[in-house]
Formats: sequence, structure tokens, C-alpha cells
Amino acid sequence: MQPMRSHEGLLIGEHFLLGDYAAAEGAIMAGCRFFAGYPITPATEVAERMSTRLPQVGGIYIQMEDELASMNAILGASWSGAKSMTATSGPGFSLMMENLGLGIMLETPCVLVNVQRGGPSTGLPTLVGQQDMMQARWGSHGDYEIIALSPNSPQELFDLTIRAFNLAEKFRIPVLVMTDAEVGHMTERVIIPPPEEIELIQRPLVRKGDVDPDHFRIYRDPESGDDGDVSPMAIAGEGFRFHVTGLTHDERGYPAMNAEASEWNIKRLVKKIRLHRDEIIQLEERHLEDAEIIVVSYGISARTSLWPIEQAQKEGIRIGYLRLITVWPFPEERIRALAKNIRAFVVPEINDGQILREVERCAAGQAQVIGVNRLGGDILEPQQVLSALRAAAGKPDTAEADMS
Amino acid sequence: MAGRDITDERQFELSGTESFGESDWITGLHPMDVLLRGERLPHIWCQGCGLGTALTTFIGALQWLEKNQGWDLDKVSVVSGIGCTGRIAGYIRLDSFHTTHGRAIPFATGLKLANPELKVVVISGDGDIAGIGGNHFIHAARRNLDITVICVNNFNYGMTGGQVGPTTPHAARAVTTQYGNFEYPFNLPYLAAASGASFLARWTVIHARRLEWTLREAMMYPGYSFVEVIAPCSTSYARWNPEGRGLDPEKLRRRGLELMKHYQAIGKVAHGTHPKDAAIKVNKEGAIIEIVEGVFSDEPKPDFQTAIDEQVQIAKGRWQATQKALSERSQIPKRTDIIRRTEVQLGGFGGQGIVSAGRIIGQAATIYDKLEACFTQSYGPEARGGAAGSQVVIASDPIHHPHLIEPTNAIIMSQEAYAKYVPKLATGATLLIDDGLVTLPEERRQDLKTYGIPATQIAEELGNSRAANTVMLGLWTAIIGAVSKSAMQRSVADAVPPKTVEVNLNAFEAGFNKGLHDQGSNAV
Ligand SMILES: Cc1ncc(C[n+]2csc(CCOP(=O)(O)OP(=O)(O)O)c2C)c(N)n1
Ligand code: SF4
Repeated sequence: MQPMRSHEGLLIGEHFLLGDYAAAEGAIMAGCRFFAGYPITPATEVAERMSTRLPQVGGIYIQMEDELASMNAILGASWSGAKSMTATSGPGFSLMMENLGLGIMLETPCVLVNVQRGGPSTGLPTLVGQQDMMQARWGSHGDYEIIALSPNSPQELFDLTIRAFNLAEKFRIPVLVMTDAEVGHMTERVIIPPPEEIELIQRPLVRKGDVDPDHFRIYRDPESGDDGDVSPMAIAGEGFRFHVTGLTHDERGYPAMNAEASEWNIKRLVKKIRLHRDEIIQLEERHLEDAEIIVVSYGISARTSLWPIEQAQKEGIRIGYLRLITVWPFPEERIRALAKNIRAFVVPEINDGQILREVERCAAGQAQVIGVNRLGGDILEPQQVLSALRAAAGKPDTAEADMS
Repeated sequence: MAGRDITDERQFELSGTESFGESDWITGLHPMDVLLRGERLPHIWCQGCGLGTALTTFIGALQWLEKNQGWDLDKVSVVSGIGCTGRIAGYIRLDSFHTTHGRAIPFATGLKLANPELKVVVISGDGDIAGIGGNHFIHAARRNLDITVICVNNFNYGMTGGQVGPTTPHAARAVTTQYGNFEYPFNLPYLAAASGASFLARWTVIHARRLEWTLREAMMYPGYSFVEVIAPCSTSYARWNPEGRGLDPEKLRRRGLELMKHYQAIGKVAHGTHPKDAAIKVNKEGAIIEIVEGVFSDEPKPDFQTAIDEQVQIAKGRWQATQKALSERSQIPKRTDIIRRTEVQLGGFGGQGIVSAGRIIGQAATIYDKLEACFTQSYGPEARGGAAGSQVVIASDPIHHPHLIEPTNAIIMSQEAYAKYVPKLATGATLLIDDGLVTLPEERRQDLKTYGIPATQIAEELGNSRAANTVMLGLWTAIIGAVSKSAMQRSVADAVPPKTVEVNLNAFEAGFNKGLHDQGSNAV
């Protein structure tokens, strides 16, 4: 059984908090008691905060030798039953891809925060980017589904880090919090409710005595249970003497090297997410009912689009706003449905058009899809977005709008 | 929660054709079958491979620990990387993790740290541990985490077909060094010793009993223990090298045995050898001619976990202090008038408290006046050369755009910051300068309302030059009015070291009074 949650050392109340710190506090509130990481701007402050805060709540912070090790260490900790997390940025995210795959394959709950900076390669260490959005989806090899959330403020970094843990635990999967240098390095008010008001989900778990180890299956066959559901997990030291492997495996976790096993294995990994899409996908929608143009964006770019949207609305353009709080899985059906009745989607993002491709795929020619892009280094200028909105609506781009 | 009510057996019903539990394999016909996953046999290893012996000695050591030391083997986890050796995790009936190539050690690190009750053993190949995982190997040794690392060295990459590896002797052949290895190998115990490991040993699999004894010791050892196990690779290494010359490739078992015999002949048991003298010796053809074996060193050092535990007490004490400070925070009534978007640029040089001044404004606005505020600071190239800059946006409504678009006012404390930020201020903006440090140029913007105060000088007179930023904040509060005075005073007190609260509040007052006095009248 889970020990009673201790509230000792939890920060509550209102704080003027750095985004990265808010992620750390969210993790601690979610019950994260293990953090392994490697310094990298602009994610370092997550690690710094964890290094002072985790020992205060009886958790473990460790700086590993690199991000390969960090990712592995959090997987190991998770198999010891700890809620675990790491945080990084582009170059480290690349190194984590190998064992993000292992985490997916072993069905290991854990959370990875990517405070995105401009890339590729060492890129722009201190400056913002949203260029890892596709890497988040496809960066590790093989077929799989992933969950990625995108916060737009320190408050949301707090809230969504908790949600990331809940999703990770529920679906036995690494969950990505895809934030960016702007949100991670901004300081705003963060309201931390008392722990009794926060719902936490614990992984489905078998403990000693729950089931005969002989008959325990670490990956229950979805055909024999409720289809696509998540198997209960055992953790090390409970007497189940289970085996898990990054190789394609069967329900016992044993290597199984053939096409049928691969089919079974991958279907498990994708089904458990696809069947629960509606529950996982979280969107913020405004003024979609009669919109002719819909802005689809996420994170800081969604937030900075709000002023140009209000401005364009004042100019008489009917604009809706759809913010992807969950970016992966992508809300395909919602976009498909909206595409039928509108003139265009406008997709502002700080990259060369990544989520744009997803919107295009779902719009499937039914609505125009227009990107508003900046290639890392700074957030989008309000005027740039406003011009794109006017263009999408077929209006002349003349007057400079007043910000105030 | 789902975790709670899982007692329904139906959920664990077996599927497919399998109708028995794993323990049906435990027949007692073989003394070790309790710890073997019989259902997974036969194993994938070649005939004559040394890995079977390595596994046998490992299991023997575990059984001994269970019998003689009362170990609960449910608490033992085995972690492997990838390779022929890595498959051991899949054949041993314990909690076992077959991870990615080279990553067994960091995985084990997380497993062990999150549950110190576990005994964690890493067992993997030489390519896995010393090649792709080399960095993890040395760092785990440095930390002295209480895990055991068993590296089976067969002098090549077995699983992928016998390529050269980090332990292949110089001049020896591998599929990728057909003209002889032009690199030099690691001496693994020496590498581990240099990295800080204190228990170091090496045996060949032919010395199975002594290997088993050493494995017991290693697993009981409090701290990082490293055992190198030399094992023949009958298929690959033996094929290319003098040790296997003339042996029938069709008879792999014989080839492996001959290799073992060779290792026996050239093995030199020498406990206590300095690891630097334990390099594996080869002749000009790359044939192995001497393998020093034994326990080389076991000098316990403070364990990593102990060091971590010691810190917890200090950390908890620190938390008490933080909590106390937070609980003493007093509240003031929420501000009800509407503050339109106010953009503040702060600039100066490092050490003046430009960043903390911006934070103080933001904290005053949000925590005390209950307004919205977004604070950002300049990082990287922007903040180089001693320059410091920070920005705050304040408003009653949610702040969509976090950056300054048209700064409505600025606090400037260096000439350089003046040159950098003043041109960007909005038309008609308010400029506050430390006029002891900033000289207004002849040619300057006439649209700005400029106020000066010798902040640094005033702070010095008050007894702490570091309070200059607080003088500026006082001036700013009086003139701009976007944040209330009592909010600012509280925020200043929250931010500065306890011993300097008084001097800072005096500094704030000095700036504030000057601001009240100057306001509307004698702008510079
Ligand atoms: C990242 C990665 N690179 C390469 C491989 C292919 N690979 C599998 S096993 C192996 C070598 C293993 O050699 P060693 O660790 O010496 O173990 P052995 O097979 O000799 O026991 C390699 C290179 C892999 N699985 N992963
Ligand atoms: S290839 Fe070599 S190491 Fe691998 S199983 Fe065969 S003999 Fe053993």
C-alpha cells in the first residue's frame, strides 16, 4: 500500500516564482522524490531548485555525468517505486532520446521537462525556441505514442508538471513537459493550493501479496483484459522477480523476436494512449463558434497571440483561439471538424513550422493553413502575428495597432 | 485509485497457450534452478562460451549469501546493458532489467538511490561497460555508490560478431582489426581504481570457485565494488587470435575449453597487486601471455548514501527557516484602482542589484498589491561584460506579452545602460537615473521626463552602498505610482539579507521622499 502522503516541506500559498522553480515545486507537490539531471541553460534552475528542495522533503537529487545517465537514472528510480523527473534543453533532450525509448518500451512512469532553447545543435543557449516539438513526438526510434504538455506561464508549469505526473502514472509512460526559455525564465505569481486540494494519481501497482508472483504478468495481454488498458506494474524488491527488457517482448517481459510479438508489443504501447485520447487531450478554446480564422498555437506563442487576436477582433475579424495545452497526442479530430467551417488556421510558433504540419495534415485542404514563424532567439512580435491575421482574413495590413 | 483494488484474479488471467506458472520450472533437479528462468532455456550463448560459467558463479554467490548471510533475494536486482553478457539479466530469476547499451550503471544508480534497501548488481560486457558506458562506469566509481559491477571481458564485442573493443589487446585481431588492433586497451581495474573504486578484483572463469568467493565479497562490500571476469568468446575472439589457432571451428565447446585452459596456464594469482601492474600482457602477435588475478584492493571509503543522508538534516533546518519567514509575511489590502500596462526597464552593471530590484517590484505588485506582473532578466550575450538588465511588466489585467514593447519608465544606474536602453523608451516615458553615476549627454531625448538622485552616494552615507538600488526603488515608487509604497517596503524587506533590512528601508525612504519632492516640479 502507498504510505500516507506527508505534507512536510511542501510549499503552499502565493509566490512570485521563476517558471523553472514552479516546475520543480509542481513536481514535489506531485510526489516526485527523485530527480537526476545535468546542467543546461535554460533548464538549470529546475535542477537547482530540486537540489535544495528534494532533501527537505526526504527526496533524492543527483547530478549525473550526462543526460543519457540522467534519463536512465530516473527510469531506475521509477522501477524502485519513486516518482521521478529530469529536466533539460535541446542538446540534452537529444541525448535523452535513447532512453526515452527505453522508458516507453518498459512502460515506465516518469516526467521529462524540456525548457526549449533555439537549435539546432548548441544553438542559442539562453534564448527561446519551440523547435523540439517534432522531436518530442518522433525523436526516439520506432513506433510509439507520447504525451507532451505545453505550459504558457509559471503557474501552468506548476499545474502541468503535476498533470504530467498524473498522466505518467496512469498510463505508465514518460510524459514530456515541453516548455521554453521564455516561460522557464519568467517570474510571475504562482498560486500553490494546499495538498488536500490536489488530486494525485498513483500508478496501477501490485504489491507483495496482491497476486501470486508465478502468475503475474508485467505486461498484461490486452486481448485477455480490457483492450488497450494499462497493466499494473510491480516494482523491484517485492518478490515478483520480474524481467523487463528494451527488446521486443511478450507479456512476461521476455524477449520475443518475431513479427507477431512486435505487432502485439507496439499495439500495446500506442493503444493505451490512443484509446484515452479524450482524457489526455486538454485544449483551451475561445470564440470558436463563429470563427472564420482560428489561431492554433501552444505555450508562449499562444500567449503572445492573445493581444493580436483581441486587436484583430476589434477590427472586425472573427477570430477563434485554440491553445494546445496537450500537444501530443494531437487533437486530430477537433482540427478536422473545425477545418470544415472556417477560412484558415493561423499557426504561430517559434520554429520553421512544426505543429503547422500537423494542422495541415488534419485540415487536409479544407481550410488554408498559415504559419507565423520566428526561428528561435525571441518570442513572436505582436505586430507580426497581427499582420498574419489580417492577411488570413484578406484585410489590408495597414495601421500599427496601439499596444496599450 | 486503480492501484488499490487490484485483487481481482481475473485481471491476471493467463493468456495464450501457457497454462503453468514459472515456478513449474523449479524442479530441484538442478541445484540452481530456483534462480534460473528455466522457461527461457536453452539460452542463446554459443557452446564453449564463458558466460555460462560466469552466470553459474554469480548464482552460486547469491545462494551462498542467502544461506549464510540471510540475504532476501527478493531484494536483489540485476541490471544489464546490451550484449551476450547483457542477456544474463533475462536468465536469472530475480528482478532483472535489460536496459540499453552501456546504460546499466545509471539505471542501477536510480534503482538503488530510490530504494537503498535493494542490493543492486550490474552485470554486462566489456564493450557495454567500458566502451559505450565508459563514462557511467568511472562516475559511479567516483561516487562510491553501494552497487556491484561485474564486467565480463571477452576481449571483443561478442553479440555483434567480434568487433574490436576497448579491451581488445594491442595487435590482437577482431573482425574490424584484420591487420591487428592498432589501439591500446583499458586495464579495467586500474581505470576503476583511478576513478575511485575501492573494491577491485579480476578472475578468469576457469577459477570459478575463487571467482564465486570474490563475488560474494563484492556484493557484501559497502560501496562500489568492481569485478572483472575474463571469459572466452569461443565463436569470435578465439577465431581470430593465436589462442584459438588450429582449433576446429566446428567444435566450439572444445575451442572454448582450450581457451580456458590457456587462461589457466597464464593466469597469475597475485592478491593485492597494484591495479596499475595488473594490465593484461600480450606478445607481439597480440596473444595473451599473462593475466594477473585476485582481489587487488578493498579499502572501504565513506558510502555515497551516508553522505546524502547527512545532508538531509541540514536541508530540513533550512526549510524551517524558510517557512518561518513565509509565515511572517504580512498582507495588505488588494489594490482596487486600475493599473494600465506599465513597462519598466532596469539597467546598470553587475553587483548593483538590478536584477533583484526588478524582482522586488514584481513581488510587490503580485504578492502584496495583487496586481499582475511578469519579470524577466537579460541572460547570456545581453548580460555580458558586467552589464545587467531586467524588465518588469505590471498591469491589472493578465499580461499576454511578457516582454517590454514600449517601456514606459526606466531605472538606469550606469552610463552604458543609459546608452543601451534609453533610445528604446516609449515617447514621453519617465527616466530615473542615479545621477552620481550617469551624466546626461548634451544631445538627449527631450520627450522624456527625467529624474535624478545620487542613489549610490546616499546609500554610502546610510552605511551600505549596496542599498543604492533600493534608493532608486523608493524614487520609482513615488514617481511612477504603479505599485503601492507599503507593498514595496514589504517586498524590499523580503528580498534583502535580514541584517540589512533597516538600512534598506531607510534607503527606500530617502528615495521615496526625494521622489515626492521632485514630482511634477524640478525634473532634471
Ligand atoms: C546504441 C547501440 N549501439 C550499438 C548496439 C549494437 N550492439 C549490441 S551488443 C554490442 C556489443 C556488446 O559487446 P560487449 O559489451 O563486449 O558484450 P558481449 O556481447 O561481448 O558480451 C553492440 C555494439 C546497440 N545495441 N546499441
Ligand atoms: S559470441 Fe562469444 S561471447 Fe557471445 S555467446 Fe558466443 S561465444 Fe559467448
